[in-house]
Amino acid sequence: MADPLLEVSGLRVRFRSRGSVVHAVQGIDFTVEPGQTLAIIGESGSGKTVSAYALMGLLPPTAQVSGSIRFKGVEVVGLGERELQDHRGRNAAMVFQNPERSLNPTMKVGNQITEAVRRHLPLSREQAHQRAVELLRMVRIPAAERRFHEYPHQLSGGMRQRVIIAIALACEPALLIADEATTALDVTTQAQIMNLLLDLQQELGTALLMISHDLALAASYAEEVMVMYAGRFVERAPAADLFGNVRMPYTRALLDAIPRTDLEPHVLLPVIGGRPPDLSTVVPGCAFAPRCPDAQPDCREQAPALEQHGMGHWWACWHPCGKEAAS
Amino acid sequence: MTGTPAITVTEPGALLEVRNLVQEFVLRDYGGVKGGVLQAVSDVSFDLSAGETLGIVGETGSGKSTLARSVIQAPPPKHGSVIFQGQDLVGLSHRAMKPVRRDLQMVFQDPFTSLDPKWTVSRIVAEPLVAYAIGSRADRRERVNSLLDLVGLDPASYGRRHPRELSGGQAQRVAIARALVLEPKLILCDEPVSSLDVLVQAQVLNLFEKLRSELSLSYLFIAHDLAMVRQVSDRVAVMYLGKLCEIGPVRDIYRRPLHPYTLALLDSIPNPEPAAGNREADHVISGELPSPLNPPSGCRFRTRCPRAQDLCATQTPQLRPLGVDGHLVACHFPLSGASPAPAGSQSDAEPAAVKR
Amino acid sequence: MAAPVASLALGVPEADPAAPQRRSRGRGLLRSLEITIPGAILLVLLFFCFIWPLVYPVPSPTSGSVLDANLPLWSPGHIFGTTNVGYDNMARILYGGRTTFEVAAAVQAIGLVVGGLLGVIAGYAGGIVEAVLMRVLDVFIAFPSLVLILAIVDGLGQSELHVIWALSAFSIPAVARVARAGTLRLRDQPFVVAARLSSVRSWRIISGHIVPNLMPQLFTFSLLGTGIIIILESGLDFLGYGIPDPAPSWGGMIAYGQTVMSVALSPLVVPSLFLFGTVVCLNLVGDGLRNRWGVR
Repeated sequence: MADPLLEVSGLRVRFRSRGSVVHAVQGIDFTVEPGQTLAIIGESGSGKTVSAYALMGLLPPTAQVSGSIRFKGVEVVGLGERELQDHRGRNAAMVFQNPERSLNPTMKVGNQITEAVRRHLPLSREQAHQRAVELLRMVRIPAAERRFHEYPHQLSGGMRQRVIIAIALACEPALLIADEATTALDVTTQAQIMNLLLDLQQELGTALLMISHDLALAASYAEEVMVMYAGRFVERAPAADLFGNVRMPYTRALLDAIPRTDLEPHVLLPVIGGRPPDLSTVVPGCAFAPRCPDAQPDCREQAPALEQHGMGHWWACWHPCGKEAAS
Repeated sequence: MTGTPAITVTEPGALLEVRNLVQEFVLRDYGGVKGGVLQAVSDVSFDLSAGETLGIVGETGSGKSTLARSVIQAPPPKHGSVIFQGQDLVGLSHRAMKPVRRDLQMVFQDPFTSLDPKWTVSRIVAEPLVAYAIGSRADRRERVNSLLDLVGLDPASYGRRHPRELSGGQAQRVAIARALVLEPKLILCDEPVSSLDVLVQAQVLNLFEKLRSELSLSYLFIAHDLAMVRQVSDRVAVMYLGKLCEIGPVRDIYRRPLHPYTLALLDSIPNPEPAAGNREADHVISGELPSPLNPPSGCRFRTRCPRAQDLCATQTPQLRPLGVDGHLVACHFPLSGASPAPAGSQSDAEPAAVKR
Repeated sequence: MAAPVASLALGVPEADPAAPQRRSRGRGLLRSLEITIPGAILLVLLFFCFIWPLVYPVPSPTSGSVLDANLPLWSPGHIFGTTNVGYDNMARILYGGRTTFEVAAAVQAIGLVVGGLLGVIAGYAGGIVEAVLMRVLDVFIAFPSLVLILAIVDGLGQSELHVIWALSAFSIPAVARVARAGTLRLRDQPFVVAARLSSVRSWRIISGHIVPNLMPQLFTFSLLGTGIIIILESGLDFLGYGIPDPAPSWGGMIAYGQTVMSVALSPLVVPSLFLFGTVVCLNLVGDGLRNRWGVR
């Protein structure tokens, strides 16, 4: 069995701000195998983006990271900036949400790719140019040679995101992290980009870690889904299992909240009230208990641990939902 | 321009009748020179009955938000008419619009820019009442409080807060309360939940539903997401590059879409059911959105349509009824099996095989 | 079935018992040293210029005995020494400072009110109103500031009031520009569109929505501009066109100090330090507030 590409254990991230400490990530563990497609799902404030940034070493100095992130056996936590720059791009690359903000508006698109290429690979300018055009073709941008010389504002949102993907893949990293990469795109463009990412995965053998709030998207494209709430994983399962077999009430709530095309219109969506908890206080007990429709007294006393029950299906709940078929 | 004769008015005196609406923006270079004309909304016509919710779906560049702004005359459209409660709003002066605005209100996409950051919640919701000089101060306070209750915000704890002290969902509820305070008949909702988290989206959508039935409201609900619009709509219209592609009863649009673009939109919705097999979606459309400054001739969707033929480039398809009553589509080769061949086309030619 | 979930669907008010924790803004303000220290210095200076002479018998700045002429620094009874005709320098600093602050406050107030009003009207109305107003103000901006001010004072005659008019001709267009730019930006914000949609009258939109949201920007702009106003005013005094002799002014004292520089440094250095210190403190406070309020 191949060694895992990425092993995260006990990852915690704390931010110190104005006297209070925000516990953004409260101990998560997971592994990514080479070529695997994983998704981390959560709402804003769940800690998913902070986790992704921690994997890339992109957190600001105010963040205190503890725990372990081992990439191909090498520890990332605690690395200096120079080693981190090496790690980013070679080992893992990230695609962000806003293509406008990730591209330099004053630089030609092709040059931004060659810049990334030449940072990590000892290529001549000519060779880097060739590689850049190759990459543009790989992300299915038509007329790649011509597009090389264009500026970001001349491209549509979907095309810009493809360029970002090209930059991310410039050095063939083993892991690609897509942080809400398609959230700002149109639905049809989103489908195109997701299909592109999956095809590229197959071609290059890259592992893909999707970070999103969109559970339906994750379920459609990922092999395994991890649901995050208030800094912890609360449920984790292969995508196919998750939807027939939801156990954690929070995941159930997320699923129920998705407007589905097979439901009758004008029917009220089942939904829970309240908001995610304030992460500057760590309460005993399950973080979801205040909002959980199935909460019992013991839920408030002790936080359930994430445990494996059944084949690859983990959940952290004292009173999981029964085996009701989602229909 | 006489426009399309094909629209059949559903019943006389519908709440809102939009006819041949055109909205243009002149792009100027830095010297003030006219650089081009962007036709954001191009010959759009539809009806909305009282108590009905019409969902308008479109992606970037479809013109849906511009359409909403044109209906409320901010700014007024270049051509066409907007007949609201029997009165054409186009050409009305700002003052003459005043009585109309009591019945026509809007909820915007981002609650944090649609609420004045320096005002308190109570003051924000009361503003329209003050503008129309309705009631005494005590009356207004009472009305504001009852509205805040109606949208699920406790007046005692929320009345004095500022928008920055609210979450996205709470702020949007305030915006909704403000839109309701004059007791309007029709509310335009411009992507009202797009900027909210998933669970909050569902809460607010439910709120829209509840208000609709309790207050007998009509909505023009704009979204980029077909799934979301389905929950709240009676009829749905699909727009592409400023034109209406298809309009019809909601169940019908989803079960039997007639326009290739509608089908592509439906197929692009990620489906959490594992058996759906998204990866086999043949209808994911290829290509990029053409520039709105220079839209394709004839049917604007033809550059990305797997069924396009020569006719599509030469003749702009008009909205015509097809299938179920009230279902109209603007396509020369719609998806239904039995399509009446438009005059002058090749006879019943098989559309090109559907390809990725 | 899903009964417990469905019952929570609606009608449940937002559960948010604790208001989000926010320190009161005042306390947070005092924590920024970059604002508090220069601010405190300015307050001390203002105190000494305006209040101190009311409670302590400060010698008159424009009378004294020739017998006490040209006393050096730290002389008993005359901390900053005296001028060549025996006037007490400390008193001249205090009274000169009074003039400086009075003029600065008046000019900025006029600038804010008149300039702000013109700018907001131009920005909101647009069209021909904006065009005319802006072109008229552009004429004033086109002149180099000192030239403009000199011309006005020369035309009107020397006095504190005329200095104020002249400096206002400088500050009004500057504030108007900023006000107009801010108004243009605010006018397209959805909350203004929403107000128009509720048939709120234009003047109410301006006074209720535009001006309050514009105030932080205008205020910090004014504060940062006060330093310039003070320097211009002192420049006028230095050139002899400002506050007429024998009324004390920092610029005038600097001019005098320059003439006796080779013999004694303190008549030059002392008023210069006060001028420099005041302007620096004003700029620090202005910058600090601008950073805190997130104004661009």
